[in-house]
Amino acid sequence: MAEIVFAAGIPHAPAIVGLFDKATPEQQKVVRHTYAGLSGGLRRARPDLIIAFANDHMTNSRIIAYPDFLIGMAAEHTGPHEWFKPWIGCRDYVVKGSPEAAEVLFRGMSRRGVRMFGSRQPLKFDDNISVPSVLLELDTLGVPLVPVMQNCTVPPFPDQHRCYEVGQKLSDLIRHDFPAEMRVALIGSGGLSHEPGGARYLFIDEAFDRWFIDLCVAADHKRMLRELTIEKMEAAGSGGTAELLAWVVVMGAIGEKPGQSFGYAICSDFRCGIGAVAWNLAA
Amino acid sequence: MGLEKFDPTLAGHDLVQDLKWDPALRAEFKDNERAVLDRYPLRPEERRAIEERDFRTLYDIGFHPYLGGQLSRFIYGNDAARGALIANKKLIASLTGQK
Repeated sequence: MAEIVFAAGIPHAPAIVGLFDKATPEQQKVVRHTYAGLSGGLRRARPDLIIAFANDHMTNSRIIAYPDFLIGMAAEHTGPHEWFKPWIGCRDYVVKGSPEAAEVLFRGMSRRGVRMFGSRQPLKFDDNISVPSVLLELDTLGVPLVPVMQNCTVPPFPDQHRCYEVGQKLSDLIRHDFPAEMRVALIGSGGLSHEPGGARYLFIDEAFDRWFIDLCVAADHKRMLRELTIEKMEAAGSGGTAELLAWVVVMGAIGEKPGQSFGYAICSDFRCGIGAVAWNLAA
Repeated sequence: MGLEKFDPTLAGHDLVQDLKWDPALRAEFKDNERAVLDRYPLRPEERRAIEERDFRTLYDIGFHPYLGGQLSRFIYGNDAARGALIANKKLIASLTGQK
């Protein structure tokens, strides 16, 4: 039976690459420590496959035909998409995909009542996949990636309850549909609080961020599902913070496991609170 | 101000998506914005808000803020260290009535 061997919620704010030099040494230290810890954990887990849920940011689909989940089924993933290169400021990367695993995922989620969409053509990636790919050096890892672009911004989008349920079905799929012995890493890419394009573009809700990280570390999912409402996330940064729903998918897949935080950085130039959690799957 | 006024039928959303995906259209938008806008079925108030860089009005009629932020970067700049920072300031000034 395949198993989940790594699970983490990871920030992808573009400025932690492009404006890294604007941060204080202490803030830079948190970012470095975060990604070093995540990268080390990912490599020690020796995954055969990485599935990454991430806010699509309206990068791949028109707003009038917008999927809640879009699976990248291509054999190769490249990025960043050209318009986002100066915005992110990161290097180009190529990560191999897995059309076979993507098909298993698409078929299995459909059979479990989750309507996903797929693209055999390469998807376009902004910071959502590009920042984790570069900072975790997924292109040197040699492990295939199946990205799942998530609707976290075009209302109405799946709430915390639906995302958690999707995660539970994903867990069942991994255990029963993927090849036995397959080791799967799950990444939820996004967050923390931010309001891209809004009047509070430079606002970061530190209280919310610290509350959310503590919630993820504590592994009290009943409380998380009760309190992490779309309304609460919108209040902490409209149109941005709700991408933490990608983390909720991962939490649904792994169940109540305690997490490890790598610290928290708040830097106005980042336009986003920075923090990550890796969950202890052996607990 | 959030997503409560969001109107998915605004054609300006397609404009922003196309500008992201098409470098030639982006170049034309810089050189001849009017010609590009002519090709989209924008509502009169939507077009006027785009032409006047009035993001406050644009959001009030239902433009998605995330795409509004990207529109500001097409207009004012997209590089992380300079243009995007100017775009942020211009956008915030419009949304908060500072201009």
